[in-house]
Amino acid sequence: MAQDLNGPRPVAHSIPEVEGQLSNLWARAAVVRAQAADAHARLVAAQAEAAARAAAALAASQETSDAGGHHVAARTSVLNLVVMAGDADTADACALTIAATAGRHASRSLVLTEVDPEGPSGLDARIEALALTTSAGKAETGAEMIYVTAHGETGSHLASIIVPLLVHDLPVALWWPADPPFETHRAERLLPLADRLIVDGSAWSGCGLGMLGQLAAVAEQRNLVVMDWALLRQSRWREALASVYDLPDLRPHLGAVRRIEVEYAATKAGDPDGDTNVVRPLYHVAWLASRLGMTVVSPLRRLDTGTRTAMLRQSGHEVEVVLMPAVSKLPDGSTVRVEITSRLRGAELIGTVAASDRSVDVVILDNGRERVRRSYAAPRLKDADLLGRAVEEGAADPVSVHALSTAGRLLGVESAAHKAVGC
Amino acid sequence: MDASTDRRPKGPGRPATAPPVARTTLQLRQAATSARRHSRPDPDKNPLREGLRLEQVPDPCAFVLFGATGDLAHRKVIPAIYQLWRTNLLPAEFSLVAVARRPYTNESFAAEIRASLEKYSRVQPIDEAAWAELAKRIVYHQLDFADDAAFDSLGTRLDELDKECGTAGNRLFYLATQPSQVTEIVRQMGRVGLDHEMRGGGWRRLVVEKPFGRDFESARLLNHEVNKVFRESQVYRIDHYLGKETVRNLLVFRFGNGIFEPVWNRSYVDHVQITVGESIGVEGRGAFYEETGASRDILQNHLLQLMTLVAMEPPSSFQADALRDQKLAVLRAICTPTPDEIKHEIVRGQYGPGWVEGEPVPGYRQEPEVDPESETETFVAGRFTIDDWRWSGVPFYLRAGKRLPKRATEIAIQFKEVPLRLFRDSAGDPAPNVLAMRIQPDEGIMLRFAAKVPGLGLDVRAVNMDFAYDTSFVVDSPDAYETLILDALLGDASLFTRADEVEAAWSVVTPIINAWAEQPAPHFPDYAAGSWGPETADQLIERDGRRWRRI
Repeated sequence: MAQDLNGPRPVAHSIPEVEGQLSNLWARAAVVRAQAADAHARLVAAQAEAAARAAAALAASQETSDAGGHHVAARTSVLNLVVMAGDADTADACALTIAATAGRHASRSLVLTEVDPEGPSGLDARIEALALTTSAGKAETGAEMIYVTAHGETGSHLASIIVPLLVHDLPVALWWPADPPFETHRAERLLPLADRLIVDGSAWSGCGLGMLGQLAAVAEQRNLVVMDWALLRQSRWREALASVYDLPDLRPHLGAVRRIEVEYAATKAGDPDGDTNVVRPLYHVAWLASRLGMTVVSPLRRLDTGTRTAMLRQSGHEVEVVLMPAVSKLPDGSTVRVEITSRLRGAELIGTVAASDRSVDVVILDNGRERVRRSYAAPRLKDADLLGRAVEEGAADPVSVHALSTAGRLLGVESAAHKAVGC
Repeated sequence: MDASTDRRPKGPGRPATAPPVARTTLQLRQAATSARRHSRPDPDKNPLREGLRLEQVPDPCAFVLFGATGDLAHRKVIPAIYQLWRTNLLPAEFSLVAVARRPYTNESFAAEIRASLEKYSRVQPIDEAAWAELAKRIVYHQLDFADDAAFDSLGTRLDELDKECGTAGNRLFYLATQPSQVTEIVRQMGRVGLDHEMRGGGWRRLVVEKPFGRDFESARLLNHEVNKVFRESQVYRIDHYLGKETVRNLLVFRFGNGIFEPVWNRSYVDHVQITVGESIGVEGRGAFYEETGASRDILQNHLLQLMTLVAMEPPSSFQADALRDQKLAVLRAICTPTPDEIKHEIVRGQYGPGWVEGEPVPGYRQEPEVDPESETETFVAGRFTIDDWRWSGVPFYLRAGKRLPKRATEIAIQFKEVPLRLFRDSAGDPAPNVLAMRIQPDEGIMLRFAAKVPGLGLDVRAVNMDFAYDTSFVVDSPDAYETLILDALLGDASLFTRADEVEAAWSVVTPIINAWAEQPAPHFPDYAAGSWGPETADQLIERDGRRWRRI
């Protein structure tokens, strides 16, 4: 449950004003809560357990009151989340996602938008303080949302706004919901502030591969923890696929893969313009390649047919990679199907994975004969789930690191200095 | 408390050297490069599993649940299986073979389970698709534990299921039955050969619920009977306390943090208090409780297990036996109390009528199925010591009871006072530092330390730094049974109790029980329901100049 404890939203026009408003907010929030606890205690006095709980809450709030009788609310020490929203619509959408993560969200979220770059400089801020309880009777915790709008040239100096507003000594997650401008002065200033970068590669413009290559290079260059929703979304595919190869007699086939084919949704047959985002399909290949010890022989290239191909090597044999567009009702760039073909001691195994909103389905054909057919109940992750996972992950996840690094190699990024291929 | 540990300095203005973190992305990338150069898939491992929720999943298997119609099965075991199934943590080649005396068909038993899940599943509503798949895998087998033929047919049925469901000869036998039936069931399983593991796969495991005997001799006998059929490595004795998230966190807290180990010993610790308090009474289990009492029900297992986790040396690895060897070393180092020490340092009590949570409640002797003259203890407290280099001279005060003012399980490490009181003019003495680990409810960890009260004077007050699971990890913790059942299916016995551990715990508790049996009848009841136990419990600790923590 999230309860907005502030009255009319204060508007600040400088960093000291924002800081002042934050202090006031928490003091007022405490008074509201103490009064609520008192009322609650009286209301349920006949029910001793509930009354005791309410009294304990009241006592706790009094115990931590300062001389002025104000209560400094407890805040969960998790992290700072900085959202580079860009425009107001994106800011609203991000704020909704943050709110939907309920108690999972960060201690302090800064949502930054920019307006009128040619106009006079300045900033506006509004602040929300949230008291969060996950379920009845559980402890409350506090969190803050600070919405900052930068005007004019101030928008070019966002780092100077962000740094003073970060909660001291907490990790900083930088969430860039749209195309991150990796090779710009702005990124140069903002990326060093972040411990982790949250992006959604599947939402990038065009095919997304150029940006994915830049992301791989930046992650390597800056030793940055990257949380890409496009990769997080695939966790249910990975679980399903891994479960099938848990069967001991199928497992050796993981060392004998000959072809990986990924079919993705495109509005037009053959994706003639090549501008359908293929970050998700590529991540499937990158994950498999990184898990199965494959190296890149020739990077991804686009054929006239719209298909993209690459060549990998695994234990002395080559593995053909095919990313193939297919007309589908799914949103553009969604993975329609992943097919893995392996050959071992004369047996050909074809594993096919497909997913719907609620489940992931796996079929294994052994020399053309159906060997396994399974459906895993695994709903598609929502934005709030993705953000929740992205902020909760503590350290670098080796699987993501390897997958991103392999994706970079599939795009021809051998080091941070190399440019990736485009679409 | 700051829950984050992964902040790494980088960029201008930050220290040039990063603190040691688990693995940086750079290290991970280097590892990836190296792996690409040298990797050859290990045929025994599934490389696609790395980084997923489980890096290993249970093998295909049949889960054979004895006592499937009982309370424990319906409240705990089956909801845990459903939850594991629902979250795709069980293999598709899985069957739940419910074994009990009452007549059911597969369908009628599945319907009964469904009704129980509506009541007891921690996640509601029931996921229809997941349930439909699980229901297909439920097989009911009627069986009287004394009936040889029924056990023969159980063996045959399981063999058939291996073929029908692909369970590959792997079987986990879970005994959710009366303790008195364990020996007979195990004997029958041995007679039919259900314990026999097969070459090239086909493991057999036995999960036994506590109590593991009622004293040292009976525990040894039970272990002997079980081990006549199953090897010790096949036996998983379940104490659900060890599966609780906060108990498991105790290991992470102790061995995943470097700052506590240096002060975790007799040089810095004044004493340790462990409390397992329940506000409920015997809840309709009067007959059972008459036979057990607080010492058998809580002290011998939960309290001593918590004590071992606090006091154990770091294991060399997190392999089951490495962990259990260290716990066993603690149990063996606990000084067995002499009759005289039992008289002075172990306290028992029984609750009389009183008020709990604003409701009048009857005394123990007024509970159903309880002897009106019962001498069974519903409260036990004791002062224990451990004879080893780390803990010599540090008292461990343990207490557990029913009908206490609240439900609360807590471990508190009280540190020694400062050697010199510098702030003599302060209005109050700074209280010694306390590290309290709340096992339930409000799971978390609190560290108390002294701070200056703001103002011109130099007043010192104790303040608490509090870490609460609720507010730092807003995700549902799995139920202890989910954790433990999954571990048993994976063959990880770390959180299960080994035979020698059980016997070592009984060797601490049995002299107490025996001494009490020989002493004159106690003046029961000696504490009112809703109080923190008898006065003698307070006297026990106050004699040492200490007092129980107000929880």
